[in-house]
Amino acid sequence: MDQLVLAIECDPATDVICTPEFVNDLFETQVVFSIGGFDVNRAMLLMLLAAFAAIALLFFAYRQPRVVPTKFGVAVEGMVGFVRDEIAIGIIGPEGIRYFPYLLSIFLFVLVGNFMEVAPFINFPITSRMAIPAFLAILTWVIFIFVGFAKNGVRYFTDIVWPRSVPVALRPLVGIIEFFSTFLLRPLTLAVRLFANLVAGHVMLSLLLASGWIFVSSVGDIGARSVIGLGWFTIGLAIFLFEIVVSILQAYIFTLLSAVYIQTSVHPEH
Amino acid sequence: MEDISGALALIGYGLAAIGPGIGIGIVAGNAVQAMARQPEAAGMVRTTMFLGIAFTEALALIGFVLFFLA
Repeated sequence: MDQLVLAIECDPATDVICTPEFVNDLFETQVVFSIGGFDVNRAMLLMLLAAFAAIALLFFAYRQPRVVPTKFGVAVEGMVGFVRDEIAIGIIGPEGIRYFPYLLSIFLFVLVGNFMEVAPFINFPITSRMAIPAFLAILTWVIFIFVGFAKNGVRYFTDIVWPRSVPVALRPLVGIIEFFSTFLLRPLTLAVRLFANLVAGHVMLSLLLASGWIFVSSVGDIGARSVIGLGWFTIGLAIFLFEIVVSILQAYIFTLLSAVYIQTSVHPEH
Repeated sequence: MEDISGALALIGYGLAAIGPGIGIGIVAGNAVQAMARQPEAAGMVRTTMFLGIAFTEALALIGFVLFFLA
């Protein structure tokens, strides 16, 4: 991934960049600067940027409500209306409007974070660092468990581990499966789905665009064979468009699944 | 041994992706059929399709995590 780009400018005297870290690279980024022992890295700065971008989007769209909105206003209103009508009210039901602010917040934050993958000069999706999807998934987890206990009391838990709609002989087995899938696998898959999609896209883009650039720029060394680089570059640009679709789709799916998990706590019998 | 464990994990992830791949194909194919038969229900079918895909995908994602853990 990033090492490929960095390896071109690799200086053998500093082995910091030259040694690939593989797995750790997906969980840590290089420190940009540190304030009093508190390290600030690129993902943190971009996370703040994403949060401010999401706030600015809503602020500028809704600052002056007009009878005939601007094109930008229509676009943002369409997005907000989609989250409200299709996700919050459409999935959870009429009381879903209570959870609409949360769902809109995570939708916009994840969307802006995903778009950083294809944004020029950034090219780094913050959601491809496990901490951010994991935190958002844990937030959803806390909310749906809290709502479940607040709406249904202890029966929320007992209905999961001892489901009464299943024959008695199967109840222990189904109960164990339901317990693991509700309390452990839900947050795990919610986080990993977003993380894995964005990592895969980031790796593909980095490899194709960087190798295309390396091949084309080494015309002097390998001659006509550097034409291969053009093909890789073209595929990289096609993947670029595909990744825009993936960014929107993953933000939608993350929000949709959060709404579904909250819905199962609000109406557990369904 | 390090190299072998890495390669085995890759094969394991490949195996884990077979089932969800078939499953997602069935889900999406049937959703397209449903939308073609009843276009007015397309919105509902699409939402349910994404849900079905998301739940089916979970198994492949667990394989993806195990690839890093191995």
